[in-house]
Amino acid sequence: MSPTGTCDYQPKDYKSDLKPIWCPGCGDFSVVAAIYRALAGIGRPPHEIAFVSGIGCSSRIPGYTTAYGFNSVHGRCLPIAQGIKLANPDLLVLAAGGDGDGFSIGGGHIPHLIRRNMDITYIVMDNQIYGLTKGQLSPTSPKGRNTCTSRLGSLEAPVNPLLYVLAYGAGFVAQAAPTDLAGMADVIEQAIRYPGFAFVNIQSPCVTYGEEGQQIKGLKAISETLESLGHNPADRLAAMDLAQSYGSKLHLGVFYRNPEPPPTYGDLVKERQDLLSQGALPKERILELFVKK
Amino acid sequence: MRENDPEGRAGGAGSGTYLPMRTNLVFGMAGSGGDGIVSAGDSLLQAAAAEGYHGVMTKSFGSQIRGGESSCRVRISTDPILNPGGNLDVAVALNWEDFLKFGAELPVSGTTVVIYEAATNIPENQIPLVGIMPLQVIAVPIAAMAKATAGTERAKNTVVLGLIAGWFGIGAVAVMKGLRKKLAKKGEELVEANQRAFDAGRTFAMEHPLKVSMQLAPSPSKGAQKLITDGNDMCAAAAIFSGCQFFGGYPITPSTEIMQFFTDHVWKYGGTVLQAEDEIAGIGAAIGASFAGKKAMTATSGPGLSLKTEMMGLASIAELPLVIINVQRGGPSTGLPTKNEQSDLFAACFSAHGDVIRPVLAPTSVADTFSTTIEAFNVAEYYQTPVIVLSDQEISQRKETLDPIDTSQFTIVDRLRPAGSDLQDYKRFKQTANHISPISHPGMPGGTYLASGIEHTEGGAPTNSGTVHARMNTKRTKKFDSLKERKDLFEVTGNPDAPLALVAWGSLAGICREALALAKADGLNVKLLVPYLLYPVAEGTYRDFFASVQKGFIIEQTHLAQFHKVLRMHLDLPKGVKSMARSGANPFLPGEIVAALHRLISELQRSHEHNLQPQE
Repeated sequence: MSPTGTCDYQPKDYKSDLKPIWCPGCGDFSVVAAIYRALAGIGRPPHEIAFVSGIGCSSRIPGYTTAYGFNSVHGRCLPIAQGIKLANPDLLVLAAGGDGDGFSIGGGHIPHLIRRNMDITYIVMDNQIYGLTKGQLSPTSPKGRNTCTSRLGSLEAPVNPLLYVLAYGAGFVAQAAPTDLAGMADVIEQAIRYPGFAFVNIQSPCVTYGEEGQQIKGLKAISETLESLGHNPADRLAAMDLAQSYGSKLHLGVFYRNPEPPPTYGDLVKERQDLLSQGALPKERILELFVKK
Repeated sequence: MRENDPEGRAGGAGSGTYLPMRTNLVFGMAGSGGDGIVSAGDSLLQAAAAEGYHGVMTKSFGSQIRGGESSCRVRISTDPILNPGGNLDVAVALNWEDFLKFGAELPVSGTTVVIYEAATNIPENQIPLVGIMPLQVIAVPIAAMAKATAGTERAKNTVVLGLIAGWFGIGAVAVMKGLRKKLAKKGEELVEANQRAFDAGRTFAMEHPLKVSMQLAPSPSKGAQKLITDGNDMCAAAAIFSGCQFFGGYPITPSTEIMQFFTDHVWKYGGTVLQAEDEIAGIGAAIGASFAGKKAMTATSGPGLSLKTEMMGLASIAELPLVIINVQRGGPSTGLPTKNEQSDLFAACFSAHGDVIRPVLAPTSVADTFSTTIEAFNVAEYYQTPVIVLSDQEISQRKETLDPIDTSQFTIVDRLRPAGSDLQDYKRFKQTANHISPISHPGMPGGTYLASGIEHTEGGAPTNSGTVHARMNTKRTKKFDSLKERKDLFEVTGNPDAPLALVAWGSLAGICREALALAKADGLNVKLLVPYLLYPVAEGTYRDFFASVQKGFIIEQTHLAQFHKVLRMHLDLPKGVKSMARSGANPFLPGEIVAALHRLISELQRSHEHNLQPQE
């Protein structure tokens, strides 16, 4: 089903009455605002949207929307999101969380949603720190970073979220930041419109535990749009090349969009259901399968 | 010894004496992986079913992927069968190394006829069963007969089937009829080779009659159509019948066949199955599907249950219906992955952080796996809760012949969904008289809410309030009060006023049902309680049951007497009620339970005599 709705919705129609717990100035305020705009651009009524998250500061986000929300357990937004999508393919399914949720405790799920091409948009609010638990090393923290669990400096290299999903073959990969709200809303909307697994990494500064260079000012200093670089989003190898600069540069926009999206898992399920439901034994007679004639 | 013969018709030793025909025979066969011993068991069971007998078959393997030892037990009876039986009536050893590896799973006694491969070159008086004198021992040149008739030793299993047809009167026609069907695609030549091997076995048997005839009596229900299936397939069929539209899981022995059934069939009913990337994702996807408004399930075994624990807690606090099938095997950790045990009871009842009640149900046979699984979906939907079904390796993988089940007798429950006024200012976790709130799902206008693992208000907003938490804990636990009143989730058999009692659940229930019949035949005044609902513990039902009881046993296959301990957490058992527990892969025999009951009776009588002594 096309993600596009039929009614006119305004961004405010997706904003709930819950007051965010985020610190003043947190990048996630911009992210949720961008999501309201993207959803208004799509135009599906809130009750046809399921928004799933894990645990972390950013995982509070579904509650700040008027969609059906599911604030689940740490690292598990993607398994739950795929169950929702498979149970009701007509829903618009969003998943979101932080870098720890997505690339540490829940990192094992991403490759599998990609290879199944689950039609789900996954937004990671990447702030290189565990904020909710008050400032521990995260999987995207730079090597050498001093945190309360790495007081002498981190000994490990960070995950590169962009390369990670590109390498597994994600059909849509983009990056955004609160430095450009309109651009962020635009890539989220494009991600939702992509028929299959779509990933948006958002550099969302942590104002409390984040480093100086990771704040809006610092991000602005290292950001450039992929468009301005003349990047062709159909070129996966070029996208991987550009993604190498994660951590030193902030490339904004669409890294990769598969020009020929393969069928989604849901499409294949539907095909199989249609094929096999013809002339099936009614479920009231299912025990007849065990009759040995 | 009468464990295998509740009717007591087998009689004792004494060659040449006339004996009535047998109503019940237990076969145990073992060989190497390539010997086809399990496929011979399948053929025997199907032939028995075709002839109208009741049958149960269990398989047991070494842990090797291919080759290694394999065995099966087939119990065939003119009457319905309660368990796979104890001591063997007939033991078939294609070689002794493999046979002996199964130890207590294939117990040979003084009433057993032992048939073994003559090529082992072991004399009949020197078979390696130390200290046991079987009823009769016969060396048969099985491999040589297979080679001579079918041109290959691979037909050894067909020779064995011929021997069984000749000596015990099962499958003289039906075995080959079945094999013809099975081998039809492989060509007439192979069918004929097997026919010759079968005939050779049968002829050998007829030319060498047993010292004591052991022919099975004719079946009373000749030609009646029977189902043959195992507990895992039965469970999956029940789930689909209940309207389950989603299965999320991960392969694990001995539960994988449930997922396999879904991958074969669920599409036909508009549903989906996901072989997930891990156990956590499997249950997570099922929780997602349930949140989306569909009946959903997962299945696993011990190690997977451990992994799913956090997700089960999420389903409890989010009040989402979900069925979790846990097919028990020996634990902890990898434990005994292919053997039976009941030791996941603590994990099923208690593995959760926080204050949680999560219903646990258990089937006792392949047949009642159907009703128990339906009940699990009904309880999950009605109470909006995860429900664990504790099956076990034996029930899940043993094959049973079954009489057709009338599916119209079952009620299917769907969750309470909001309608009309519920959707004005909808509150997902609204406090109600029975603590159950209407549940909406994505796609339903007016029903949007936030499901969460964090504590929440009636409206679903996250909260840190201790007051709200206490109120919600009450809601989430009190709602099960009515479940504990369900008498239909318990089976009581025997004299209601009996002073002796047995309590058993799961696959041990079938053994105790047979023990009860044997004990009654011995004149013992005993009754049996079989709970299908294990948790929450229905204190009232147990108190009523134990009111007349002075002595008895809580019987289970765990090392720590887990069920006994769970019961004692919730009620005071009569002083004379003790635990009878042992760890997995060491089966209980009905006869030893009866012997234990006899000891209890003697104790009772001694104390009674003591009371009758004139007091000084």
